[in-house]
Amino acid sequence: MNSAKKVSISRRSVLKAGAVATFVLATGITPTMVKADTAQDTPKNPNQIGFIYDQNKCINCKMCAKACNEANNWEEGTEWRRVIVGGKDNKHYLSYSCNHCENPACAQVCPVLAYKKRDKDGIVIHNREVCVGCKYCMYACPYHVPEFSPATGRINKCHFCYQRQDNGEKPACVSKCPTGALSFGVLSEIRKTPGATAQLEGMPSPDITKPSWVLIPKA
Amino acid sequence: MHHWHWLIVIYLFLGGLGAGAYLTSFAAEKGWLGKNSRLNRVGYYIAAPVVAFGTALLVLDLGQGLYKPWLLFRLLFNLGSVMTWGVYILSLFIIIGLIKGFLVWKNKTAPNWLTWAGAVFALATGAYTGLLIAVVKAVPFWNTFLMPVLFVVSALSTGLSVTALGAHFVEKNGNANATEGKVHLGLVIVEIVVVAIFFGMMAAGAKGPVGAASASLVMAGKYALVFWGYFIALGLLLPLVVFGLEYQRAKQAGHQVVTEPAASGSEVAVAAESGHHSYLVLVTDLAVLVGGFALRALVIFAALPIWDGKLL
Repeated sequence: MNSAKKVSISRRSVLKAGAVATFVLATGITPTMVKADTAQDTPKNPNQIGFIYDQNKCINCKMCAKACNEANNWEEGTEWRRVIVGGKDNKHYLSYSCNHCENPACAQVCPVLAYKKRDKDGIVIHNREVCVGCKYCMYACPYHVPEFSPATGRINKCHFCYQRQDNGEKPACVSKCPTGALSFGVLSEIRKTPGATAQLEGMPSPDITKPSWVLIPKA
Repeated sequence: MHHWHWLIVIYLFLGGLGAGAYLTSFAAEKGWLGKNSRLNRVGYYIAAPVVAFGTALLVLDLGQGLYKPWLLFRLLFNLGSVMTWGVYILSLFIIIGLIKGFLVWKNKTAPNWLTWAGAVFALATGAYTGLLIAVVKAVPFWNTFLMPVLFVVSALSTGLSVTALGAHFVEKNGNANATEGKVHLGLVIVEIVVVAIFFGMMAAGAKGPVGAASASLVMAGKYALVFWGYFIALGLLLPLVVFGLEYQRAKQAGHQVVTEPAASGSEVAVAAESGHHSYLVLVTDLAVLVGGFALRALVIFAALPIWDGKLL
């Protein structure tokens, strides 16, 4: 009897441990995985391209931003690509531009249809010739990518150097990165990179717009 | 990180004001504001011009408003954008409002469908100004469907006030009546409840830490004086007290009519009917407008983005 009871207790404790483990998995690990998963899902467009940025390799030289400006002539007051500095040591960097999101909030709110998401590669292109400068997209984009140029009265933003890409060239920023921290590729492929995520701490949830970017955070 | 400034604040305020003015005169015309309400015309006169003026400010705020105005035609293109909905709603409301106002001015009867269509588009205008910002997920403070509710209630309240103020100076005949005060008291109470739920929800973090930060910016930070002084005290509590006391007085007067009909019943009734009319009430109506304006300013200026642009 006693031994049977013991067995049943141990069985119960096994069940308990199992329940606890499931709970921990469900609350602790699974959500982060799910969170990453929602952004790491297979992209709706299999040809969607995206930037991939390795925080470990970046040296904050800002060649990417400089190359972008040279190639695209940013209108006054706009920055198509930015390198920001942070972290406890102030040695963490992030070079970012438009994420060419799967659900671009800019395009959803734009009343004049200035934004087009190309079928070919999922690049979100803003046509500044038809932009009326209402600034709605500036509120809609969680990443503050669209910027208004007071000089021209319209929005400017990264277009992934789509003309260069159509000519078989790399985007200007990627071509000038000396360390290989910034690169680009087919999203479904680059998402397989070890350590890849779509969200850095304190940054917007990728669920909002499903950004087509891959980040490799510094440990 | 404010991309919209005073022009947009004024536009949002005027959009609600004009919509509310139309609905006030509409309600008066339908007899919902008591017998022979003298608010049955002024609201129609001012509704479309006020909204049109606000829309003009909006155009001035566009980067291309004066530079390449022909591009504005494209504002009708994206049927998925709330701003596009707004362009349709505002345009139709201004057109219908102008026709209705003109007919009322000429003492001609407007077709019933036109009057009703105007009321529907007025309601849509009031709701649109809130919905425009409620759909922005990247601004947690805006991203709640209480926003259009709050804007509609505020639109009705400010519309009633501006129409009452206008009627006081324009209408030669008739007096303000007690029902108008009673309706306004109801609107103020509803607005207080919605405001309490909205700010309670935000402060409690229902929309995350950024929504809570916006709420504390308004309630305890940079905008606390505007919030507690202009919006809560002037715009909500003063009307609550003034309209509340009036309502109390009108009820007692009405009671007297029933209990002492032989005395001076008709006189008391007249006094009760004209009860909603004093300088205090006029000042209160002005305070309602100040409060409504403060609300729009707070909502636009306390809009913190979900990401502050900093790398942690």
